[in-house]
Amino acid sequence: MPVACDPFLCVQGLGKTYAERRWWGGSRSGKTALEDVSFHLEKGRTLGLVGASGSGKSTLARALALFEPPTSGAIRIGGRNLWSLGGAERRRARAEVQLIFQEPAASLNPGFTAAQIVEEPLVIQRWGTRQARREKACGWLQMVGLPRQSAGKPALHFSGGERQRLAIARALILEPKLLLLDEAFSGLDLSIQAQIESLLAGLRSRLGLTCILISHDLRAVARLADEIAVMDSGRIVEHGATADLAARAQHPRTRELLEASLALSLDGTLS
Amino acid sequence: MRIAATLENRPAAMLALVFLAMLHGAVVLAGFLAPYPFAEQHRESPFAPPTRIHFFDAAGHFHPRPLVYGPEGSQTYPIELFVHGRLFGVQEPGVLFLLGSDGFGRDVFSRLLYGGQVSLLTGLAAAFLSLGLGWVLGTAAGFYGGWLDRLLMRSGELFLVLPWLYLLLAVRGFLPLHITALQAFLLLIVVIGAIGWVRPARLVRGVVLSGKERPFVLAAQGFGATDAYLMRRHILPLTAGVILTQATVLIPQYILAEVTLSFLGLGVGEPVPSWGNMLSEARQYYTLVSHPWMLTPGLAAIPVLLAYLVLADALLPDQRYRYP
Amino acid sequence: MKYLIRRLADSLLLLAALSVVSFVFAQLAPGDYFSELGTDPRFSTETVAALRAQAGLDRPLPVRYAKWVRSCIRGDLGYSLAYNSPVAPLLWQRIPATLLLTATATFLAWLLAVPIGIWNATVRGTWGDRVSQLIWAVLLTIPELVLAIVLLVLAAESGWFPAGGMRSAGFSAMDRWAQARDLAWHLALPAAVLVLGMLPVLVRHVRASMLDAIDSPFALSARAHGIPRGRLLFRHLLPAAMNPLVSLLGFSLGTLLSASLLVEVVMGWPGLGPLFLEAVAARDFALVLAVVMFSATFLVAANLAADLLLYRLDPRIRTE
Repeated sequence: MPVACDPFLCVQGLGKTYAERRWWGGSRSGKTALEDVSFHLEKGRTLGLVGASGSGKSTLARALALFEPPTSGAIRIGGRNLWSLGGAERRRARAEVQLIFQEPAASLNPGFTAAQIVEEPLVIQRWGTRQARREKACGWLQMVGLPRQSAGKPALHFSGGERQRLAIARALILEPKLLLLDEAFSGLDLSIQAQIESLLAGLRSRLGLTCILISHDLRAVARLADEIAVMDSGRIVEHGATADLAARAQHPRTRELLEASLALSLDGTLS
Repeated sequence: MRIAATLENRPAAMLALVFLAMLHGAVVLAGFLAPYPFAEQHRESPFAPPTRIHFFDAAGHFHPRPLVYGPEGSQTYPIELFVHGRLFGVQEPGVLFLLGSDGFGRDVFSRLLYGGQVSLLTGLAAAFLSLGLGWVLGTAAGFYGGWLDRLLMRSGELFLVLPWLYLLLAVRGFLPLHITALQAFLLLIVVIGAIGWVRPARLVRGVVLSGKERPFVLAAQGFGATDAYLMRRHILPLTAGVILTQATVLIPQYILAEVTLSFLGLGVGEPVPSWGNMLSEARQYYTLVSHPWMLTPGLAAIPVLLAYLVLADALLPDQRYRYP
Repeated sequence: MKYLIRRLADSLLLLAALSVVSFVFAQLAPGDYFSELGTDPRFSTETVAALRAQAGLDRPLPVRYAKWVRSCIRGDLGYSLAYNSPVAPLLWQRIPATLLLTATATFLAWLLAVPIGIWNATVRGTWGDRVSQLIWAVLLTIPELVLAIVLLVLAAESGWFPAGGMRSAGFSAMDRWAQARDLAWHLALPAAVLVLGMLPVLVRHVRASMLDAIDSPFALSARAHGIPRGRLLFRHLLPAAMNPLVSLLGFSLGTLLSASLLVEVVMGWPGLGPLFLEAVAARDFALVLAVVMFSATFLVAANLAADLLLYRLDPRIRTE
């Protein structure tokens, strides 16, 4: 199929408007969460998506991760519009985009063991034999810094930071092409946050991952992101390389976020 | 499982469980443990008080094997093991009425054991039926939603709009009355169990509905899971806890339902004993005054209900959440 | 307000559905009022069939239903074959007795449960509390049936209370004062059984609700402000704990009616209970249906009233 754009991730004119249901069954248009969102992302780059609550960043994440269909526009990953695929094909294609949720504890089934959690995507996608899946899961446990022996431990027994590691291992075991992290660092202690960040940085370079980090905190994202896009009221108001943004922030919203992030050093660069 | 862990921490609950297991075992083995068949009458000893067991005879000699005195008063009969194919008993014409006898000279203790079969097992089977029905319908309602959900919940309201005893009597009353004891037993199970599906169904539906929204379910969807997988692997296991808790609440209620129905003459009838129809013999107060042992079927229910209460408290300490 | 009107319409629909389902069920169920006669060899099948036709039992279902609805509108509420009279007078004769019993029992039970529950909550963890919990547990597990029988026996033996019935002989000859005393004397035992049956559940609920209120953040801050204990209890905690209790009132009414049916039958209290049982045993459908509809309407109305009360009492609901 002819590819319209070169970059790995190509978002064009994306819009999402929620329909309000009338009690008689009809509907009318209600809240507009996304409006005419367009951007590109090269393979292997990391984009930081920042904005205040209600700016539409989570909606964008859900649309990218195939949880909620957009009402207009298109998303192409590696040239394919995944939303245009049929049911079973789309389920298989989900392996290519993975979303890591904010609350590490809630996104893991407390009744599962660590190994069951990490290998679940393989089970769902019917990959390999039981032995092979278990092996791969244990391998990934090590890759995120957890001991192999903890494979049989129930999820309850892991700490917050450890659970986030499990979530990362689980998300990466299918070797997705695009990884989304929605507020993945908030709610963790600062020291744990730093550990997870370095883990992610390591995995990212090792696997050549393309990432999108979503947060309301500019500082949390700035360390890992190559580019930053700022969202406000459903639109992208500014998009540029991280280093440039501090120096030449155009949009008032960006300036607000910069000031809020306390990381502004005296000479105006983001540290 | 977390349920097992909860129980292990509460010695009272473990005790209750052991007690219930032993009682049910005893009742199931009534044919062996009871000294007399439930219908055997001893017309010469109606309303006999509980037979006294002696270790020392009139002459003061000690007998390691206890004995009872015969009707005349002088002849002694030792309690023997493994007699007449049962665990213990005495030779004729001696009688061993551990809890006395009723108006027809039938051994109350034996009938208590056999009656327990009817009452306890009706409670269990009816609860099983209610829970099964409720589980299937609740899961369907929660999973499919839409018109099926609305239909089931509305129909459920019909069952809840009446006081339960009124509903039970009305349904039972309009079904055939002159049936054999076995038919009555099965009919009771079906009626009691079928009309009680609503509360379990609502609870299961609630669990399924909230389960669908849990983040780990969304996460699994993110890996491309089908609805069937989500239900099987994540949502339905959540229903196990609710079902188990409901069981501890429903079983005692259903035991009481059987007892009530049989007491009122709409349950299991003569000569098959049930704790209910045995109590109806005690209804005449002069019977009870002179023969207090006739109350034992009612008293026997108390430890059973208490044991289930202890279990229910252990599984769901806040009683207010037991009634959805 | 709109919500309440919708609830009302809902309830009426439910009751109408109940009446239809009852008719259908009775139709599908084998046998009717004359089935007993059918088994009696003295009555020929023609006689039985004629009797059926006379009573209108052979007409099609919708016709019979319409006839019943008309009868209700007229105020007769159907025609009882067993008593050979319209159902309404039979009901009105019995309903006051049941209402008296259940109302008295409810009033007494709540009167006792609230203070005891509050006391339980305030002494949580102590010996008094533990002993109380044990007492409630045992009381809860004594079947009302057994309790009724035992109290009846005690009454008969001691003579302190009458062994059943609602009025002594010569009731009509007494003056008002003596009549009231006589009624109360007869009411005592049946009401006692019902109260003892309800008390454990209510006390547990009150205790749990009070504990919730006591442990809530607003109570802790009120204590930190130095608000004296009495005022805290009655002005702050009790209203907060009332909400779940009002819901409980609506819910427990169904159980209460069932219990009172049994108590009335065992203790000879001439209320709806014995009437209903007789009607069921005789397959007198009109009477059964009338009692069923009455009890359902009563429950639905009580629940609506409880919801209304909740709405007025709890400002949190109003803001929704």
